Amino acid sequence: MRKCYLGVDIGSVSTNIIVMDADEQILDTLYIRTQGKPIETIKKGLSQIKNRLDKDIEIYGVGTTGSGRQLGGIMIGADVIKNEITAHGIAALNFVPDVKTIIEIGGQDSKIILLRDGVLYDFAMNTVCAAGTGSFIDRQAERLDIPIEEFGKWALKSKSTVRIAGRCAVFAESDMIHKQQLGHNQEDIINGLCEALVRNYLNNLGKGKEIKSPVIFQGGVAANIGIKRAFEKILGYEVMVPPHANVMGAIGAALLAKEETAKAGESKFKGFEVADSNYTVKSFECEYCPNMCEVVEFRRDEKMVARWGDKCGRWSHDKTAKDEKLA
Amino acid sequence: MKITFPHMGKTYLPVKAMFDDLGVEFVVPPKNSKKTLEIGTKYSPELICLPMKINLGNYIESIEKGADTIIVTGSCGPCRYGYFVEVEKEILKDLGYDAEFVVLEAPNGNKKEFFNRVSKVANTKNMMKIANALKNGIKVLRKLDRVEESILKLRPYEKNKGEMDQLYNALIKSLEKSTGTYQMAKVIDQTQENIESVKLDKNREILKVGIIGEIYTIIEDFANIDIGKKLNELGVAVHKSHTASGWIFEHLFYNNIGSTREKKVYKAANPYMKTMVGGHGRETIGNAILYAEEGYDGVIQVMPFTCMPEIVAMSLLPQIQNDKNIPILTLIIDEMTGEAGYVTRLEAYIDLLRNRRGKHKNEKMLSWR
Amino acid sequence: MKIGIPRGLLYYYYYPLWRKFFETLGAQVLISKKTNKKIVDNGVKNTVDDACLPIKVYIGHVMDLKNQVDLIFVPKMMSIHKDEYICPKFCGLPEMVRSGIKDLPQMIDTTIDFHKSKKKLSKTVYEMGNYITKDRKKIDFAFEKALKEHESYKVQIKNGMLPIDLEDHKIFKNINLHRRKVKILLLGHPYNIYDAYLSMNIIEKLREHNMDVITQDSFDTKVMNEKAAIMDKKIFWSFGRKVIGAAFYAMEQKDIQGIIYLSSFGCGIDSVIADIIERRTRRNSDKPFILLTIDEHTGEAGINTRIEAFVDMIKWRGKNENNFSTYGKNLSTR
Repeated sequence: MRKCYLGVDIGSVSTNIIVMDADEQILDTLYIRTQGKPIETIKKGLSQIKNRLDKDIEIYGVGTTGSGRQLGGIMIGADVIKNEITAHGIAALNFVPDVKTIIEIGGQDSKIILLRDGVLYDFAMNTVCAAGTGSFIDRQAERLDIPIEEFGKWALKSKSTVRIAGRCAVFAESDMIHKQQLGHNQEDIINGLCEALVRNYLNNLGKGKEIKSPVIFQGGVAANIGIKRAFEKILGYEVMVPPHANVMGAIGAALLAKEETAKAGESKFKGFEVADSNYTVKSFECEYCPNMCEVVEFRRDEKMVARWGDKCGRWSHDKTAKDEKLA
Repeated sequence: MKITFPHMGKTYLPVKAMFDDLGVEFVVPPKNSKKTLEIGTKYSPELICLPMKINLGNYIESIEKGADTIIVTGSCGPCRYGYFVEVEKEILKDLGYDAEFVVLEAPNGNKKEFFNRVSKVANTKNMMKIANALKNGIKVLRKLDRVEESILKLRPYEKNKGEMDQLYNALIKSLEKSTGTYQMAKVIDQTQENIESVKLDKNREILKVGIIGEIYTIIEDFANIDIGKKLNELGVAVHKSHTASGWIFEHLFYNNIGSTREKKVYKAANPYMKTMVGGHGRETIGNAILYAEEGYDGVIQVMPFTCMPEIVAMSLLPQIQNDKNIPILTLIIDEMTGEAGYVTRLEAYIDLLRNRRGKHKNEKMLSWR
Repeated sequence: MKIGIPRGLLYYYYYPLWRKFFETLGAQVLISKKTNKKIVDNGVKNTVDDACLPIKVYIGHVMDLKNQVDLIFVPKMMSIHKDEYICPKFCGLPEMVRSGIKDLPQMIDTTIDFHKSKKKLSKTVYEMGNYITKDRKKIDFAFEKALKEHESYKVQIKNGMLPIDLEDHKIFKNINLHRRKVKILLLGHPYNIYDAYLSMNIIEKLREHNMDVITQDSFDTKVMNEKAAIMDKKIFWSFGRKVIGAAFYAMEQKDIQGIIYLSSFGCGIDSVIADIIERRTRRNSDKPFILLTIDEHTGEAGINTRIEAFVDMIKWRGKNENNFSTYGKNLSTR
C-alpha cells in the first residue's frame, strides 16, 4: 500500500483536488468548476479521483482549504481545515524554500503573501472588488471574443502598450471599448488589459508591501503568460510560475494534512464512499432575532451532520446537532 | 535650498513671480498629468482623497528635478488636508527621498515660528520685502482669477469659437516666460481687456451653472477634468464658488477675513447646517442656496472620493434641491474616474436643465403674463 | 418622558454618562437594540451611499428608536478636547440624521464643542438638561452623578475590561482577563471594534484562538499622550491621537505580538492614521500588522480567513523563535 494524502481546495470558482504521496510528489490533480454547487462538485471530484487512482493507494490524510473549507471538511472528514493564505504559503515554500513573495490570483479573489526566512510575514487579500482578479480578464476576453487560454499569447505579440484605465471591470470595459473605437490593435489592447490587471493588483494589494525576489506567481491566472510578463515588466524581477500553479492551495492543504496526521497518528478521512452518500442542504431564516440569519442545515443520508450560518450559535452549537454528528 | 510646492490651478504662476521678486531658487513641479497622478496613487494610502494623491505626485516629480524643500500651507482639521504633510513625510521617508517640508502655519498659535518659517523660505529676514512680495503675488493671483472667471462666464457666447482660448493660452505662455509680479500684472491686465472685447452673440440660449464642492477639485482643472471648459462647450456659463486667491488668503491668514460674501454664505447655510463641518462643507451648502436664489439653472457639486466634509454636505443637498427647486448633480472624482462616463453624466444633466428651462418658458408663454 | 439613545458611534464611550444623566433627571432611557441586520439595512437605505458604515448604522439605530420615544439624543459632537476634533461627519451628525429620516421625534442635538476650551461645559450640560427640567440644581446633581458613573466605567476599561464585556451591566460575566498567552492590540474606532455585529465579533473570535485582546482604550492616557507627541504636528483628531499613541507604545512592548487595525471603508481619519501606523510598525518593529476594512458588503468568510491567517502568522513566528518544528522548516529543510 502506498501512503497518500488528499488536498482539497474548494473555491468559489473552482474546486481543486490533488493527490500527493509520502515523498510529497504530486500524483494527480483535478480542477473542476464549482459553479455554485460545492457539494455536487466535491462528490464529482472525489469519485473521479477514486477511479483514476491506482488500487494500491491508501489515503492517510486529508486537508481542505478555500472558502468552502468548512463544508468540505465536514463532508470528507478532513484532518486539517486551513485558511487559503496559510495553505498557499505552505505550498509555495515547498516549491521554493526561500520564496519571499507570493502573488496568487484566482477567479474572484487575489492575495499577496510575504514570507521572510520561511515564515509567514505579511499578507493581504483583495478588498474592494474584483479588479485585481481573474474575472477582470475573463470579462474582457469574453467581450473581445478571444478564448481566455489564448489571451496570454495575444498579449505577447504586442509591441506597444495601450493604457486601459479603470479599477472596476465595468469601467475598464468602457475604456477598452473607447480604445477600440480609437483604432488600437487587438494585441495592444489585450496587453493593456494585462498591465491594467497587474497595476490594479499592485495598487490594491501591493500597497506598502515590500515585494522582494524570489517571487512566485500562482493561482488560476498564473497560466496567463501575458500577465506573468506584465508583472515582470512592472516589478523588474523574474517571476516564477510553479508546475502546479493552479492547485497550490490544495497542495498546501495536503502538506498540512501530512503533518497533522503524523502528529495525530490516524486520519479522520471518511473514505471515498462519501461521494456515494446523499447530501441535502436545507436553509431557513431564523426568527429569534432581527438578524434573520440564514441558517444552513447539512444532512448526510437524512442524518443531520451540522448547521451553520447563525451569528449567535443557537443552531450551530445545538446539542442535537452534535449528538448526531457523533453518531 | 531649492523650493517646490504643490500645484493648484494656476497658482504656480504668481508663486513663481513671488519667488522671482525675492530671488529664491525654486522648481515648478511638472504640470499635473496622468503620470503625476499615477505616482501619487501608487504611494498614497488607497482611500486618501485625490488632492493628496496629486500633491504627492507633484512632490516626487519635483524632487526628481532637484527640489529639496517643499512648502505648503497648513490647517488644523477636521478635514484631512491639515495632516497630509505628516503622511507624505512618512511616504517620502520610506521611499528614501530626502526632502524637508516647511508648513506655513503657526503651530499652536506660535506666531514667531510662523515668521521664522516664512523668512526661511523667503531667504530674507526683511519682513517688508516679504510682505511686499506676498501682496503683489496675491494681486497677480486675483487678476488671474478674474480672467478665468470672465472666460467661464463669457466663453459660451463668443461669436468666433476659440478666440478666448487663444487669448488665454497666449497669456499662460507669456506668464510662464515672464519674471516678477510687476511684469505679470501688466500682461494679465492686457488680456483681461482683450477678453472683455471679444465679440459675443448675446442671443444664444445659454444656461447658468454654479460649481460647489471641495475647493481643490473645483480649482484644479486636472482634477475636475476641465469641468468649466466642458460645460462652456455645452452652452453653459459657469461660476465657481471658490477661487485660488480666496483660498490662499484664507490659509495664510487663518480665515478671519469675514468678507461679506462669506457671511452671506454662512447665513444662507444656517437653516440646513448650523456649524462648520470642516473643509468647505458649510460653504457648499450656502453656495448651493445662493446660486438657486440668484436664478442659476443648476448646481454641480464636485468632490474627491471619500471627502468627509463634502459627504456631510452631499447628504443635505437633496433637501435643498427640493426646497429651492434646483437640480443638483454630484460628481465624485478619484484616480479611476474615466472621462467618457464623466462627460456622459454632464451631458445628460445639461439636457435635463435645458428641458426644464424650455418647460418653464412654455409655461410662461401659455400663461397670460 | 422617554429618551432614546442610539447604540452607535460614541455610545460605547459615553453611554454610562448619558444614561445616568437622563435617568437621574427622571427620564426613562431607551437604548436601541444591538446592531442587527435590520438596523444596518435601514441605515444603508436612508443614508447617502458615500457615508461610512458607522454613520449608516447610526441612522439605523435612530430609526429603531424613533417611534418609541419622546426625545432622541443625537448630540452634535464637534470637539471633546482643546484644539481637537472628532470627525467632520460628527460635526454634521444631527443634520445628516434629519435629512435621512422623516417624522423624527424632537431631537436633543446640543452642540458639544470644547475646541477653544471647556468653559462651555456647564452651559452645554444645562442645554441638554433643559429638555427635561429647568431646575439647574437638579441638572448639576444629575451631571455629577453621571460623571461618577463615567469615571468608574473608565476605571474598569483601564483595568482591562472592554466595553463589549461591560454592556448590559453584565459586569461579572465569566471573563478570563489576560489569561491567554498571546496579546493582540486591536485598534479602531470604538463603534467599529466594540459593535459585535459590525466587527463580526472579532474580539470573541480572537479570544477563541487563545489571544488576549487589548485596545487603544486599555492603555494609560498619559503614556499614549506622550507617544502621540512624537509626531511633528499634533494630531487634531482626538481618536487618531489616541490610536497613534497606543500603536507607538505597543510597538515597544514585547508581550504584544501583533496589531490589527479594524477600519471602515471610506473613513478619512483611518486612511491617514492607519497608514502612518502601518509604516511605522513595519519600519520600527517586527510585529505583524494587518488592516481589516469593513463595509456593508463585507463577507464574514473573508474576515474569518484573514483573522485565521493572522493568527497562524503569529503562532508560526512564535514557534520559529522558540526553535520548535515549524511548518516552514519542516517543509523547507526536507
